[in-house]
Amino acid sequence: MKWITLFLLCSLPVVANTLPSEKRKNGPLIQKALSPVQGYLQESSAVFYDNKTYKNFIYGTVVSSDGLVLTKASELEEVEDYVIRIGTKKYRSIKVVATDVSWDVALVKVEAEGLLPVDLTGNSEIAHGTWVLSNGSSERMFRRPRPGIISANKREIPGGSPVVLGVQFQFKDGEIKVNEIIEESGAEKAGVQKGDILVRVDGKDIVDDKSFIDYLRAKVPGDLIKLGILRGSVELDLEVELMARHKLFGGPQSQNDQMSGEFSERRESFPMVLQHETMLSAQSVGGPLFTFEGRFLGMNIAAANRVESFAIPVEELCKVLDELKISAGIQ
Amino acid sequence: MLGLPVTLVADSLAFNEKEVPETLDDFREIQKALQANLERARAATICLQMGEGSGSGVIVSAEGLVLTAAHVTAGVGEEMTVVMEDGTEYQGVSLGLQSETDAAMLQITDQGPFPFVEYDKEDSTKLGDWVFSLGHSGGFDKARGVNVRVGRLVREADSTIQSDCMLIGGDSGGPLFNMRGELIGIHSRVGSSKEESMHVPLREFQKNWGEMFSGQFIGEGPFAQKSQPGTGFLGLLTEPASEGGLRVVELWEDGVAEKAGLKVGDRILEIAEEEATAEVLKAQLAELGAGDQLKLKWISGEETKEETIKLGERP
Repeated sequence: MKWITLFLLCSLPVVANTLPSEKRKNGPLIQKALSPVQGYLQESSAVFYDNKTYKNFIYGTVVSSDGLVLTKASELEEVEDYVIRIGTKKYRSIKVVATDVSWDVALVKVEAEGLLPVDLTGNSEIAHGTWVLSNGSSERMFRRPRPGIISANKREIPGGSPVVLGVQFQFKDGEIKVNEIIEESGAEKAGVQKGDILVRVDGKDIVDDKSFIDYLRAKVPGDLIKLGILRGSVELDLEVELMARHKLFGGPQSQNDQMSGEFSERRESFPMVLQHETMLSAQSVGGPLFTFEGRFLGMNIAAANRVESFAIPVEELCKVLDELKISAGIQ
Repeated sequence: MLGLPVTLVADSLAFNEKEVPETLDDFREIQKALQANLERARAATICLQMGEGSGSGVIVSAEGLVLTAAHVTAGVGEEMTVVMEDGTEYQGVSLGLQSETDAAMLQITDQGPFPFVEYDKEDSTKLGDWVFSLGHSGGFDKARGVNVRVGRLVREADSTIQSDCMLIGGDSGGPLFNMRGELIGIHSRVGSSKEESMHVPLREFQKNWGEMFSGQFIGEGPFAQKSQPGTGFLGLLTEPASEGGLRVVELWEDGVAEKAGLKVGDRILEIAEEEATAEVLKAQLAELGAGDQLKLKWISGEETKEETIKLGERP
């Protein structure tokens, strides 16, 4: 589906009445009026700083007093060396203890005590038009509140970007043979080589190219597959990460994407989200979403475009956390 | 006692009298006003679909009059599908438009009554007032529903008002409301920053309400372009018939005339309600462009037929 593109900038006549920017929805005077609720963000959100650029690249949500933090997994993977600030304190010893690919959530542990976690026992039942609060931007010691409202129905975000393995192959005489490896792809990183024959995927024999492609089609970016390979007379098992097609090949963006600035790379395929219209970017998700009464609604997981931000509802987040804890062996 | 209801309204929108919200309660009052009007506003907000394209609009009468943007309808007499938030579809046809301000009307041709909103007839909304915006951002999505956004009126000029409710493609033609739930503008375009959204104020619709309602194309763009005279194409050849009118001697395959049911040998009696002659046909086609409409009356065998034909593009 295409849409009628909005006309871009036709400048207004010079004679116009203008509201000063500090009084606008995202302006500093509005932020100031939100100071009674800023404390929730200050205490229960984490800020991840890239140690190379010293810039914050993602937020996190504090879920235990002893330093468990949830964040957006796909953004975290992009940065190797980082520190976390919670409240005003900096933490350098950080461990990613478990990851949930289907929700794109990572569980991180820092050595801390006495933190103020969000309340995970609540629910996300909330009417359209209700004010919500997110981390807008961060100063070193201060989390800036940014307002928005619940803007659409709570729902599943289906589909997602098609995934690619990063090889070109040929199906001939009942064999899938790799002809070429795409640079920077999951296949290249896993060590797939030209001439390899693909024989198994996740333990199942590959029958033909069509069923193999259908199998990949059901996957989402970031999924790992175990690829059984025949190289000469040697059989190998390689773990390959599937990547979003657009990430590997680029390709034209839609006009709506072009006008949306830095939206989240992974913004599709979530089992359930709350939608709000707070102006977030790829760098400002991962943090908590509160009502103005301080009720924790969920964790921001994607800045989908300039009008739509997604959060994982608290009920679902609670289940995700439980499973992450189990897989990490945390009581 | 007459003043009482007015006072109550003024009190409930007291947040508009403040420079900025001072307390959380001020925010809550904004929320309360928005939510009190949201259901009705959503019910009247529609998605407009034409071919591969999609925009938004809002119903302003029980009979199904829709206000939208000129760059959405893109012309007069265009047929479109009207989709309600629950997915119910109706047929609509575009009425007149103002190509210089981006205002347009459309009529739902199915039987009403339809849910509709009131508009701000007094033009009472002022700079700094809190507003909310609806639209089918990025096209119709039944699971998501209509997208709502909140903001303030941040700039006012003659034929444009600006808010900081963010917009995206697909919102075009959608409604901007004040906190009494009255329609105050139609989404038109965006600026270079995310928070610059331009809307056509309702006063621009009110200026030419009658003309637009009667199907006039007003102005010379930039939001809609009149069809170029002489580009319209019927896809037939005629010669004068001895008994009067014009005899069809040739038809273009898949041309609009053939699609309308004309056959070789048919005799055209009237063109645009004038007696059909070669001169009349030539004069009409010289004036009309692709997409314009031409009414024909003709005899096919024993039968007299009449059809308004939308002209194709001259090859």
